[in-house]
Amino acid sequence: MIEKVLADLLAALDIVILERLDVTGTFRVIGTRPAWVAHFVSESDASDQCVRPAESFPFLSNFLEEAEGKWARKHAIPSRSGAWSEVTSAGEEYHFEATAVSTHDNDLLLIQRLGSEYLEWHTILQKARERNLQHRRETVEHVQTEARLGGMLDESEKIRDDLLSILNQLSLATVMTDVDGTVTFLSDAAQHLLDSGTTEVAGRSWYESCPFSKSERLALRTMANRAASERSKVQVHLSTTAHRRYAIDIDVQDDPRNPQRKIFFLYDTTEIHDLRRLLKEQGQFFDLVGQSGSMHKVFERVREVAGVDATVLIAGETGTGKELVARAIHASSPRAQHPFIAVNCAGLTESLLGSQLFGHKRGAFTGATEDHRGFFEAAQGGTIFLDEIGDMPMTTQANLLRVLQEKEITRLGESKPRRVDARILAATNQRLSEQVTAGKFRADLLYRIRVARIDLPPLRTRREDIPLLVTLFLGQAALTSGKTVEQVSTDAMQRLLRYSWPGNVRELKSAIDFAVIHCPGNVIRVSDLPPELLSGDDPLPTDLSTLADERDRVLAALEKTEGNRAAAARLLGVSRATLYRRLTSLNIPAEP
Amino acid sequence: MIQKKVCMLGAFAVGKTSLVQKFVRSVFSEKYHTTLGVKVDQKSITVAGQDLSLMIWDIHGEDEFQKVRASYLRGASGCLLVVDGTRGTTLNTAVSLGQLTEEMVGKVPRVLVINKSDLRQDWEIDKEALTKLTSQGWTVLESSAKTGEGVQEAFTVLAGQLLSR
Repeated sequence: MIEKVLADLLAALDIVILERLDVTGTFRVIGTRPAWVAHFVSESDASDQCVRPAESFPFLSNFLEEAEGKWARKHAIPSRSGAWSEVTSAGEEYHFEATAVSTHDNDLLLIQRLGSEYLEWHTILQKARERNLQHRRETVEHVQTEARLGGMLDESEKIRDDLLSILNQLSLATVMTDVDGTVTFLSDAAQHLLDSGTTEVAGRSWYESCPFSKSERLALRTMANRAASERSKVQVHLSTTAHRRYAIDIDVQDDPRNPQRKIFFLYDTTEIHDLRRLLKEQGQFFDLVGQSGSMHKVFERVREVAGVDATVLIAGETGTGKELVARAIHASSPRAQHPFIAVNCAGLTESLLGSQLFGHKRGAFTGATEDHRGFFEAAQGGTIFLDEIGDMPMTTQANLLRVLQEKEITRLGESKPRRVDARILAATNQRLSEQVTAGKFRADLLYRIRVARIDLPPLRTRREDIPLLVTLFLGQAALTSGKTVEQVSTDAMQRLLRYSWPGNVRELKSAIDFAVIHCPGNVIRVSDLPPELLSGDDPLPTDLSTLADERDRVLAALEKTEGNRAAAARLLGVSRATLYRRLTSLNIPAEP
Repeated sequence: MIQKKVCMLGAFAVGKTSLVQKFVRSVFSEKYHTTLGVKVDQKSITVAGQDLSLMIWDIHGEDEFQKVRASYLRGASGCLLVVDGTRGTTLNTAVSLGQLTEEMVGKVPRVLVINKSDLRQDWEIDKEALTKLTSQGWTVLESSAKTGEGVQEAFTVLAGQLLSR
């Protein structure tokens, strides 16, 4: 019975029991041999139940040597070989473990085929190691990714630093904000423009910290809230603590990485702004141009008086552009949309001038066939320019004084005054204070009209403007003459620069017109210039401009031109009509 | 014919079984198949005109789950200590197993093989470490069971050392 149980137990455990027969490694199989034994033990061995396991399983050779010692000592504690694997000739893999046991009578070797439990353990170990390897791979990849990202970060930071450096080198003023409008970056140029040395901007809301006016900040915020395609630059003005004013164009862009973040590009357009203003001023002054300091002062004075409604006395030699200045003042003033009436006070009789200025009622005098509105009424809301006011008759001066005081006129032949609103600009080439002394001009009127005063410099005192004026006049002459004359030879320019220009800018324009007409090519040469510029370095025996007295200048011009009035007028830089009026007013005979 | 027992030792998954498979059967599998216990293979080679039968004991890799039984090393004439070049810590395991071998069977020939040379760009073991081992008396070779590079050489060098004893 017990033998049957043992046989079943050994079969269930898949164990073969071998009894050691001798020290040569020969064993005898006890009991039933499992089927797998046939894969590893030859037929002959199987027949007599004797086997040599070390030959079938080389793995056991060392174990059996070890077991011999224990068997010899009858060591009771079993000795285990550890697991090993064998592959059959058919490629089937078996796993075994051997145990050496010694009993009172027998030395036994138990070889157990390791079954499902062993294979389960194998599977678990396989998975554990695969996971270990996978974890390691992921760790390595993580480290590599980290290193790569670290490298990329370093590179990005380097690129960022380089870009910032370039940004600063380019003096590109840039302000970057976070989604909530907090300033996250401020370039050096932006710090400079925003004067942020005294106003902390970085780390604060741009809306609260940037030194813009409220309206500018609102305009910027509105622009930032618009779609990118609908944005335009916003112009702001900044004043630094050093009292420097900047005109800044601000371009609001979305951060490409996050449209909620904004980038403000600040462009310093102060210089452009100033240049534009200068260009605008040139337009306001019509052909009154100049780069000289004296002309810049004139421009500045024009700007100053344009904004106020005071009477202005414009003093200057003939041909210096007094009427152009008057037009510039008018065009720059709030009255620009209203009439500008220019009146030449010289050469008109007292009654005619009075009628022209203040108007008359029908029948007021012979020939007054209907009511006539005067220049003051015509200039309602605008500006009236009284040229050569020094030649105004005394009676007319009195009436003008009333206009200045009462802001009203009375037409000739009427008794009821009329309200007028016309700004008065006056011009003279005379020294009115001397006229006052001579009793030819009312002192009270003088004080009234010279509330503001602009003195126009003669061209001989601003010769540096001559090349610029020549270029301007060449362009104008090309339009009127149809000839393309673009340059002036060096010699001719020297002549133009040396000449004293008694007729000032008007004479210069006349000379250029003359030269363009006579110029055979496209470069004005000395021979093309008017004769008065060719007669020597100092063309007039007496510099007309140095003659304080108008009568002396006219007489000198007539003497120089041997009585030729057209040439004399050109020499003086005035029109022939003006010259004739002068001759009349100065009591110079019309004929020599 | 002279027969020698050589043991393949090293951490798990360093490529011990793959090296044996490549050397004995000239095959390689990308799939990792962990070894439990021992597999014994045999291959005869001729070194310097002398035939030699190598009983190659492919012993399971060592890690926290499995420690190499000292009894497996009994009777070994030499060993190949295998290192995974992409896993620096496997060098420590190999060196440790080398010491165990020495304790068990004395100073037998041993060759340190840095395997997976096909992944050299991912190696964590640098030249400096190998130079240091060489200066300490180790025979250090590089191999790839995948490409076969250095496999024959590793066993031949070890066999040569076995015969020269």
